[in-house]
Amino acid sequence: MMKEFLISLLHYFVDITTAVLIAAAIYLTASGKQIDSAVLWQILLSGFITALPSAVLICLDTKTEKLSWILWILHFCVIYGVTLVLLHAFGWCRITPLSALLTFFAVVFIYLFTCMVHYLIDKKHTTLMNEQLRKRYLRAEQEQKESV
Amino acid sequence: MRIIIETPQPDDEDVVIVRCASPDQRLITMLLAYQNANTELTGYLDDKIVRLNYQDVYYFEANESRVFAYCCSEVYEIKYKLYELEEMYTPLDFVRCSKSMIVNMEKIEYLSPLFSGKLEAHLKNGEKIVISRQYVHNLKIRLGIEEVDS
Repeated sequence: MMKEFLISLLHYFVDITTAVLIAAAIYLTASGKQIDSAVLWQILLSGFITALPSAVLICLDTKTEKLSWILWILHFCVIYGVTLVLLHAFGWCRITPLSALLTFFAVVFIYLFTCMVHYLIDKKHTTLMNEQLRKRYLRAEQEQKESV
Repeated sequence: MRIIIETPQPDDEDVVIVRCASPDQRLITMLLAYQNANTELTGYLDDKIVRLNYQDVYYFEANESRVFAYCCSEVYEIKYKLYELEEMYTPLDFVRCSKSMIVNMEKIEYLSPLFSGKLEAHLKNGEKIVISRQYVHNLKIRLGIEEVDS
């Protein structure tokens, strides 16, 4: 369980930080602003803080699909709330309705990016697993034929 | 290690012969588990009591302290705890797929990923069950994709 948590934490930390860096690069290029080196550390810290609830969520074994959806919505709200608090704490921007809306879209982008990366990795793994399953069935069929 | 399966003569009984320099603990545990494995189960459905073969079971599910065996279309109650079934049937190609479920790997048609990080197992009877992320590793070990943690 602990190992699973730490692996998930590391994966989410890398994915979220990459997504935040992409979002920051787009923003800085569009606005033409320069950033302080402290911002890079703040991005790393924010990646780690937002990865924590994600790793916890992954380790929860929900029994129903409804509960799973509730947890994902709750998770999104937590991530969004944490991001707003971090924005304020790091002094990246003032919390106004416009900045809250822009943050919402940024969080949606990072959320979708991370989900997509994980989905593609899982898809690659399941393809490999399905191949192994197919091999098992072929082997079983062959053994059955030989015994007949 | 090679695995050779030979078909016996029509009147001969099935025999497992292990040819190795020194049998290790893993091998002995595996053979004992196979020898002691209970291949038949008693299933309860209303007033009926049915003898079930493990090969007919698609998956076991624990629900509110009761355990059920899901066959092709019927569901029978089983008087075992889920962890007992896990111990009994893990050597027979069953694998834990969530806190409340053990699936028969022979009944998995294919797997597909879900956005939540879980996997969905499409069974041969058309049913779909969810494999929790923390149990995916078990499945990969059984499929020979990943190795057992030392």
